[in-house]
Amino acid sequence: MKMQAWVAGAMALAMAGCGGSSKTAGGKKQYFVAFSQCNNAEPYRAAQNALMTKLFAASGDVKLVIDDAQQDNSKQIAQVETFIRQKPDLLIVAPNERAALTAVMGEAAGAGIPVICLERDILQPNYTTYVHSDNVEIGRMAGQFIADYLTKKYGTAKGNVVEMRGLLGVEGEISRESGAQEIFKKYPGIKILASPVADWLQSRAKDRMTEVLRVQPKIDVVYGHNDPMAIGAYLAAKELGREKQMIFVGVDGLGGPAGGIKKVMDGVLAATFVYPLCVEKTVEVGLKMLHDRAFKPEKDYRLDPVMVTPADAAAMYAKYTVAE
Amino acid sequence: MKAPIKKLIRRLIHPGRGTDLSSLWGLIGIVVLAIVLSPSASDGSRIFLQPGNLTDILRQVTVIGIIALAMTYVILTAGIDLSVGSILALATGVVAMVLTKPPAGLSYGYAIAWAILAALAASTAVGALNGIVIATLGVQPFIVTLASMIGVRGLAKWLTGNANIDIGFGQDVAAKFAAIFHQKTIVIGSYAVLAVIFWLVLSRTVFGRHVRAIGDNEKAGRYTGLPILSVKIWVYSLSGLLSGFAGVLYAAENHQGNPNSGIAYELDAIAAVVIGGTRLAGGKGTIAGTLIGTLIMGVLTNMLRLNNVDSNVEMMVKAVLIVLAVAAQGKRAAE
Repeated sequence: MKMQAWVAGAMALAMAGCGGSSKTAGGKKQYFVAFSQCNNAEPYRAAQNALMTKLFAASGDVKLVIDDAQQDNSKQIAQVETFIRQKPDLLIVAPNERAALTAVMGEAAGAGIPVICLERDILQPNYTTYVHSDNVEIGRMAGQFIADYLTKKYGTAKGNVVEMRGLLGVEGEISRESGAQEIFKKYPGIKILASPVADWLQSRAKDRMTEVLRVQPKIDVVYGHNDPMAIGAYLAAKELGREKQMIFVGVDGLGGPAGGIKKVMDGVLAATFVYPLCVEKTVEVGLKMLHDRAFKPEKDYRLDPVMVTPADAAAMYAKYTVAE
Repeated sequence: MKAPIKKLIRRLIHPGRGTDLSSLWGLIGIVVLAIVLSPSASDGSRIFLQPGNLTDILRQVTVIGIIALAMTYVILTAGIDLSVGSILALATGVVAMVLTKPPAGLSYGYAIAWAILAALAASTAVGALNGIVIATLGVQPFIVTLASMIGVRGLAKWLTGNANIDIGFGQDVAAKFAAIFHQKTIVIGSYAVLAVIFWLVLSRTVFGRHVRAIGDNEKAGRYTGLPILSVKIWVYSLSGLLSGFAGVLYAAENHQGNPNSGIAYELDAIAAVVIGGTRLAGGKGTIAGTLIGTLIMGVLTNMLRLNNVDSNVEMMVKAVLIVLAVAAQGKRAAE
């Protein structure tokens, strides 16, 4: 029995330390915004959280709660269910996977909670609005950049490309690949030498790229489906003294000292493509929905990707870095 | 049917009479705490106590809870099954593959039954294989099931080509399957039925006595002629079967067959069993304890979430809880 009392005491302490107060100064209405994030462990997701926290804090009348589903569909469904019980004024969901979250987001919308679907699509439009970018377009932009670079290098679009692929079967990976392929198909001179799978991870990309470098004597371009994989490939080439023979192109374009834009400034990456965090638009639309009941958001907000090259990297760095 | 229920109630009221249910007090403590700390809804009622929230908890613990039922048997024989998460992934993949490409000419009902049977057959086969290798070759269960955890994960990924198999929301057989097996009553109901069956088998049958006896003292069991080989094969087969069934429910709930699902579920299931008072070294433990252990984890998670406690803090609190719960039981046993 004593031990059980201990358990209860320890938990009461933990709760007292962490459960935030929801009262606000001045008696102004405080809105409760719940955000179900699919996986905090990815740098892109962490950047989303940081920017959203900052922007909602600036509004002064929002209490934001972020739950991390740790890349687990069941966990995310459970978290959204719990949010539905709490009846937030606004629910934002960055779904881990399409099919899994569709039904529960429908339940939230059915319970009269305004729902913003962030960045990833679901199978049915069970949301008030959907804020996203376009991975196929980003693939096309990367493909075109590579084709233009090779044309400049050889006078005609030909050369050897290595693709570092993310986790297979994931929408981002499929779209970034197929977008680039659309462009490459137009230039028969461009050859894909190898497409190793590195699961989005820098360390794994370095290992896979080392193997490719041992086999392939002539590589012109490495296209990483995200920046960490492009950087991993760079590190592998550098170890073998071959990093000057090829260029490295990435996707994500996060700000901050660890992000891809900094790597463009440092000359590691020849280019990166900013896949927008979609957070600024989400907060803008979300606040309008909270403050103005009559406001009807559009069903769909699509944000364009942005190319970052050494010429404009410094300016982009300032723009996309979230100050703490 | 009535007598066992009466006996269970008696045991719940008088723990220590053959069954150690000290974990029940832990559950009661956490439920009280959850009620006290529960935020209020707009009408002043406690959100924690809303029927919707209480059934949310039951539905959310079902997948781990079902796996933990068979895991209790495995641990009672002084074994362990690390492959349950991978088997769950395999089952989600098989059921979704069959449903999205159902055999021609079958009506919806038969197609769904066929898909579920295929998933259960595959998972039971893996479990049986675990049991056969453990029982006949004498390799440690930890090693054998670690190997199948890796191998079966590979099999699930290979079968599905690494991709999720989505189950849509249309009128096809796959969507029908998800609509049926996604309902709270079906999910919670099947957990309840399985729990009763596993409780009765363990406490009322010769097989149940053998399961306990093997874990208590395998050598003695061997001398007294217990069917150790067949009991072990049965126990691991049941673990495979229930992991597969959990996978079927998972596929319906998540609307997909997912070869990456169920990662680290073996640890959640083992935690539920151990919090419920089952001795990791085997021989001692109950299904009622496992149910309580499962509910403790579920209520705790729900309580922390309703209060918007940071999910990283949630993990730290759970870690403390596991150690304290087991320490409390150790103390009790020593007293």
